[in-house]
Amino acid sequence: MEALNLNRHISGQFNNELESVRNQVMQMGGLIEQQLSDVLVAMADNNVELARQVIIRDKEVNQFESNVDQECSRIIAKRQPAASDLRLILTIMKSITELERIGDGVAGIASMVIENHGKEVPSLIGLENMGQIVLKMLHNALDAFTRLDLKAAIAIHNEDKKVNRQYESILRELMTFMMEDPRSIPFVLKVLASAHSIERIGDRCQNLCEQIVYLVKGVDVRHATEEEINSLLVD
Amino acid sequence: MITLPKSTTEADVLTHLSADKTALEIKNLNLYYGDKQALFDISMKIPKGKVTAFIGPSGCGKSTLLRCINRMNDLVDICRVDGTIELQGTNIYEKSVDVASLRRRVGMVFQRPNPFPKSIYENVVYGLRLQGIKDRRVLDEAAETSLRSAALWNEVKDRLHDNAFGLSGGQQQRLVIARAVAIGPEVLLLDEPTSALDPISTLTIEELITELKEKFTVVIVTHNMQQAARVSDQTAFMYMGKLIEYTDTNTLFTAPKEKQTEDYITGRYG
Repeated sequence: MEALNLNRHISGQFNNELESVRNQVMQMGGLIEQQLSDVLVAMADNNVELARQVIIRDKEVNQFESNVDQECSRIIAKRQPAASDLRLILTIMKSITELERIGDGVAGIASMVIENHGKEVPSLIGLENMGQIVLKMLHNALDAFTRLDLKAAIAIHNEDKKVNRQYESILRELMTFMMEDPRSIPFVLKVLASAHSIERIGDRCQNLCEQIVYLVKGVDVRHATEEEINSLLVD
Repeated sequence: MITLPKSTTEADVLTHLSADKTALEIKNLNLYYGDKQALFDISMKIPKGKVTAFIGPSGCGKSTLLRCINRMNDLVDICRVDGTIELQGTNIYEKSVDVASLRRRVGMVFQRPNPFPKSIYENVVYGLRLQGIKDRRVLDEAAETSLRSAALWNEVKDRLHDNAFGLSGGQQQRLVIARAVAIGPEVLLLDEPTSALDPISTLTIEELITELKEKFTVVIVTHNMQQAARVSDQTAFMYMGKLIEYTDTNTLFTAPKEKQTEDYITGRYG
């Protein structure tokens, strides 16, 4: 999008500041993507060690959030950004909150892997599939943010339906487990919590995409219907 | 954040402003200084009781446009205007219009405070005296009301007969505003009213502008974009004599439609 060329400010210093904060968001996104990918592997392989690493690395994610937030406050105070610059800063501040919460969800799943280790836990194929869909959504959402790609953002926004369907089918599956063997309820509930965390990551990817739409188009689609959002591609 | 594009935008509201809410309507205004054209086909409606800001780089024609509204450009010999500006339905460029009475209805404040070398009191009532008003009580009352509207009364009430040059720059500028307000104009034109003032005086004037719009229609030209964002209800961005974008201030500063506006308000190379 040529309207958002960051590096053409009269103030070179302002260019650098925006560029730097944007890079940090991308790094943070990369880290979260790695975390989500690792926790899915840990869950599939029952890899407690990997799950522990994920929990440790969540601190880095939190640190990123604080740093980027601070940097954004500084830019607002010093530069009084307007128009696309303002939208960029607002988008970043909201997006890093989403990313940090995705990080929390991932850490929660990692704890479940550790706690359920060695216990007879129902097969998690559905969960893994859902995890893969969400991982792809996150990857593409971060990509769309980097490229300010409205079309991609809207496409990813529509993907969330798949995740919701998958979640419902997992829910039914887990209920069957619980009815068949009430002793499994404590573990199954943990799996359920993980499934819910993954489903929420899908929602947060959707939120990220709404922020990208705001950044590129300047319209708030947070409470818009799918048709309304898709109509943005037409004008 | 703003609403979806389908709803009526503020820009539409400005275009379809009804006559009773319009203070000024500029239609197809072109202005030439000799052979050089300085304004190109400007059309816009300025709503009553609101603050409208003109922004744009130096030489874009914003002050020229402002000066058209009370025919200050008449003072420039080589200046020629075509098109119309309607004030409450009457074209101010009509031959029958008396320029002095027009300027009573459309007051103006300039960049540098320009009090007369007289007392504070005499500055404020100057316009009234010109109109032939001599009644001391009327003058006293007008002086107090105007100085109060200009948020200056409390600072000067005990020294109304001191020379106006003894006031600070910010106070002088408010005095000039009081002088403009005293004759009861409908529209107040402010041409970069704070560019010669310190930040605190600037804020006082900005606060004053917000209060003034309850009684007058205010049109302000400013170089300071943040100021336009703070004080105005709608903003017009001009570039090279053309009106590029005119919409409500919130939209203009968060999501302008035109690329030239975007580049200007974000400080990019044009």
